Amino acid sequence: MSWMPEEERNAKLDALFSEYRAAVPDLEAGAGFMPGLWQRIEARRAGNLFIFRRLAQVCAGATLALAILMGVYLIPHIEKSPVITSSYVDELAADHPNTYVDILTGDMK
Amino acid sequence: MVQAYRKRILGTIARLIGRPEDVEDVGQEVFLRLYYSLDQLRTSEVFEPWLYRLTVNAAYDYLRRQRRRQESRMSDLSEQQVMMADAAAGGKRSAEDQRRTKIRERVESLLGKVSEEDRILLMLKEVEGLSLKELEKIYSVNENALKVRLFRARQRVLKAFEAEGD
Repeated sequence: MSWMPEEERNAKLDALFSEYRAAVPDLEAGAGFMPGLWQRIEARRAGNLFIFRRLAQVCAGATLALAILMGVYLIPHIEKSPVITSSYVDELAADHPNTYVDILTGDMK
Repeated sequence: MVQAYRKRILGTIARLIGRPEDVEDVGQEVFLRLYYSLDQLRTSEVFEPWLYRLTVNAAYDYLRRQRRRQESRMSDLSEQQVMMADAAAGGKRSAEDQRRTKIRERVESLLGKVSEEDRILLMLKEVEGLSLKELEKIYSVNENALKVRLFRARQRVLKAFEAEGD
C-alpha cells in the first residue's frame, strides 16, 4: 500500500470516475424499445381494466346476494304481520252493527 | 419526451445496474412509470429531477430483484463452473473491451465498499455529474445532509482506492 497526499488521491479517484463514465457511455435504444414500451403500457392498461371489471363483478354479486338474503329474511316477517283489508268506517260498522238501525226505528233505549 | 431523454436515461441505468442486457428492460419500466404518473407533475422545472428519481427507484427495484435471483442462481453453480464461464466470456473480448471491463469492475468494486444507497448517490454525483441542488430535488433531502452523506461515502471509497493502490 503506497501513501499519497489527499489531493492526489482525490484527483486520481476523479480521473477514474471520468474513465468509468467514458467506459460506459450513454446507450442508443434498440429498435424494439418503443414497441416494447407501448406493449407494456397497453398491458398495464388492460390489467387495470381487468381489475375494475372484476371489482364491478364482485360488487354486483354482493348486491345480488344481499338482496336475496334480505328477501329470505323479510318476506316471512311481512307475511306474518296483520293485513288490513277493510276501511275505518267498515271496522266501526262491524263493531256496532245495529246502533244506527235502532236509532232510525226508534228502538234505541 | 422519450426520444429526448432515452439515451441519457439508458446510459444512467447502464452505469447504475452494470448489466447491459437488462438496460432496455429497466428503461422501459422508467418510461412506463413516467407515462402513468405524468399527471402528478406540478411544474415542468422539476421534470428532470423527477425523471431521475423514477430512474433511481427503478434501478433499486431491479438490483433488489437481481440480488434475490442471483442468490438462488449462484447456489446452483459450482465455483469451477462460475470460473469457466468467466474465462470463456473473457476470451472473446477485444483489448479495448477488456480495458473498459477492467475500469468498470474496478469502479464497481470500489463502490461496493459502500451501501447500495450511497453507491447510487455517489454515482449520480461523481459519474453522472449531477449538482447538489439537483440531488436535493431527486432525494427530497436537505443539502447539508446530502453533503455529509456524500463526504462519508467518498471517504470510504477513497480509503479502499488507496488500499488497493493504482
